[in-house]
Amino acid sequence: MSSGGDWRTTPAAALTDGSDFLHLLKENGHSAPSTTSQHAGTIDTPTEGTTILAIRYREGVLVAGDRRATAGNVIVYDRAAKVLSVDDRSVMALSGSPASAYEIARLLEISFQHYRRTQLQELSLDGRLRTLSRLLRDNLPMAMQGIGAVVPIYATYEDGNPREGTEAGGKIFFYDVLGATFESVDFCTTGSGSPIIRGALYYQNRWEQPFVERDEAQALLLVLKMLETAAEFDTATGGFSATAAIYPQVMRVTRDGISDIDDETLAQTYRTANVSG
Amino acid sequence: MLEEPYRWVEAIRNRREYLEDQLAGASPVIACRYADGLLLLTTTPGPRKIFEAYNQIAFAGVGHPADIEKLRKSVIDIAHLEAFNLSARDVSLQRLVNFGVGPLMKAAFDEIFRSPFIARVMVAELDPTQERETFYTVDADGSFTGADSVAVIAGTPEVADAIRAHLSQDTADQPLKQALRSCVSAWGAGRLRGEAAAEELDEPTSAQITEAITSALESVHLEAAVLDRTLPTKTKFRLLDEPTLAAAADAATDVSGSGS
Repeated sequence: MSSGGDWRTTPAAALTDGSDFLHLLKENGHSAPSTTSQHAGTIDTPTEGTTILAIRYREGVLVAGDRRATAGNVIVYDRAAKVLSVDDRSVMALSGSPASAYEIARLLEISFQHYRRTQLQELSLDGRLRTLSRLLRDNLPMAMQGIGAVVPIYATYEDGNPREGTEAGGKIFFYDVLGATFESVDFCTTGSGSPIIRGALYYQNRWEQPFVERDEAQALLLVLKMLETAAEFDTATGGFSATAAIYPQVMRVTRDGISDIDDETLAQTYRTANVSG
Repeated sequence: MLEEPYRWVEAIRNRREYLEDQLAGASPVIACRYADGLLLLTTTPGPRKIFEAYNQIAFAGVGHPADIEKLRKSVIDIAHLEAFNLSARDVSLQRLVNFGVGPLMKAAFDEIFRSPFIARVMVAELDPTQERETFYTVDADGSFTGADSVAVIAGTPEVADAIRAHLSQDTADQPLKQALRSCVSAWGAGRLRGEAAAEELDEPTSAQITEAITSALESVHLEAAVLDRTLPTKTKFRLLDEPTLAAAADAATDVSGSGS
């Protein structure tokens, strides 16, 4: 069935191609995002109708996103999931075209699994960042047409390595449309609502209390307040809806892995802190 | 010369003999159910033989390590392509074996100018949906069989039969410790049968089995893994660690304490 698994595969080919799921996909005629385009064009401001936010707090990283999906001035969906688990220790949050974004998240998840299982070792952080970067580059023709741009945030928890002088802790990376990778030190926000809260985040972190010193309850409260602020001024960002019980999506990335902050905790935080009031 | 039908049949027969000869000494892989999922166990002088193939699927092989690696890679590739094109739920043993590794091994076996896979493999799926088999074993010629409660790949059919006979008691409700002990003991029974291949052998006594295990574990070590449905992660595969295996070996060779 798969020519990658052909018993005649030469050792050299097996070594070079063996670990790469993207290569395997192309070899089997499946659609890794197209790399050619008939339409040369310019990249408009990507349609990032959303607010995504990640902050480093004491135990790791909180990644949050609102639930609204829009097309122009129409609200398409009010329960979209924009924070997606990639593996047991990392998540990806997406602003941009949902079709490309979901496909990229899916490819990423399966690539990492495939690598771990075939090579019997985890893909390194650099290797994972590079894979996402490649996927974004492959997505470039779609982005050029103004319909498929994706701007992801990747958050993970890394165990420290004394030999390399790295400390254990949460890490946040963000990308541009072309696939360049940048690491955020304290926080990161993308999407159409991000300019609204960026200054507020900076102010909070610099003059109120550094995010890395805050515990989970404090960090969660901050994140929810920021999303409400973005929703107040950005039509493409959905706020908390008490009537439909729609809460933003918040995931924690800590030493224990990744987990959702459940609706009960979110509801509690909204009630006690009067975020929506 | 191979245009003549007789020659072709003869060539295939030689090939089968060659494979049987190559595989005869293999240490069996035994798979069974236990209370929290599935258990796979074998012994090895070094190279690993039990692997993770997909979230809920394990792969194991006996034979030439390079051939096991090639087959393992194929199974993983197919599983992940299926998961990408359809969904994680659509990755099934039946499709992996019937359309994947079965035909692959058959094709290699039939091409008599090339080397066949010197391997027998097994795949196991935790809690398969619908009415599907829990285990599949595939022989070096690509023929495959499904099994529901116990599966064995071994050097010879006699050894496999001896192990199945020893494991006739259902292990599905046993805790891991007990199932491990049963498997190590069954492995010992298989070892005895393998050594006594030529002559007739009566049902081995537990003392004989204990002795076989003790002497074998001086040169090889145990390897075991579980597909554990209580794991919180998507991946249910877990290799058992050294202390667990040492405890299992002790329990299986402790005649006074075991009671059976």
